[in-house]
Amino acid sequence: MSDLAKEKAARLLKKRASVSSLGSHEVKAKETAGRTKDSLSTVSYMDEPGHHDDNLRPAVQMENTYQMGPYRRFPVITVNDILKDVLASYLQEEKYEADLCRQMTKTISEVIKGRVKELMVPRYKIIVLISIGQLGDQNVRMGSRCLWDSSNDTFSSHTFKNSSLFAVANVYAVYFE
Amino acid sequence: MDEFQSGEEIVFVVDDINTIVKDAVETTIGNNNYQQSRIHQWTSSVVETSLNQLSKLGKPFKYIVTCIILQKNGAGLHTASSCFWDSTMDGSCIVRWENKTTLCVVNVFGLAV
Repeated sequence: MSDLAKEKAARLLKKRASVSSLGSHEVKAKETAGRTKDSLSTVSYMDEPGHHDDNLRPAVQMENTYQMGPYRRFPVITVNDILKDVLASYLQEEKYEADLCRQMTKTISEVIKGRVKELMVPRYKIIVLISIGQLGDQNVRMGSRCLWDSSNDTFSSHTFKNSSLFAVANVYAVYFE
Repeated sequence: MDEFQSGEEIVFVVDDINTIVKDAVETTIGNNNYQQSRIHQWTSSVVETSLNQLSKLGKPFKYIVTCIILQKNGAGLHTASSCFWDSTMDGSCIVRWENKTTLCVVNVFGLAV
């Protein structure tokens, strides 16, 4: 099963059109609610709108876990602290520069994802969204709405500002039933 | 849950989402200039319209829709996202839309149930 998954992931990577892609493959054995699963994680930057894989594959039938909800909830407050920490440490003394900030957004989002993954909250999918902007005289409005199960899913958000830039970090956690 | 999985492919289709979001933004903002007083209503409206249309697709997905509306005055903005999910079934779509005075970036994430 894991070989098949690896092959599919390799095909996915080859077909995906991305301007710059950095492949770093790690195979990690992960505990997921008692079942061990080999996961292949790759890092690739999709600087252009993603071209999704055209191979439609049939849905994988999962067995019933008979689990009604998550055993361990997503720790919002811990993640809040992580966001505060990471944004402050990476951006405290920085000035807004186009190239630097472009790289910074990618780096920070990977770092935050890594730290949230370390919390090892089982069965949760994570989405990290970072925006870094220049402080000008403009007005910015960010809004988000989610169609999910509000008893299990949650999000965490933090804003950081210094003299020349502002940064907004959002982490969404969605329970996988 | 069995009805969803028998025979139907659960894949995130980017093109449909693209169309839905573009329409939502066009109908909400259209050719209007940036107006501070209406901005709150615009963001809510874009996001809610998109979400309504997405739920009408009837697919077994949870959706997260984010919208950033920006006044164009020369300042720069960078956005990045990093996701930990099942890449065979889940996906995301980013739509950038602009007119003379406003810039709008809408991000849609779809996670299979």
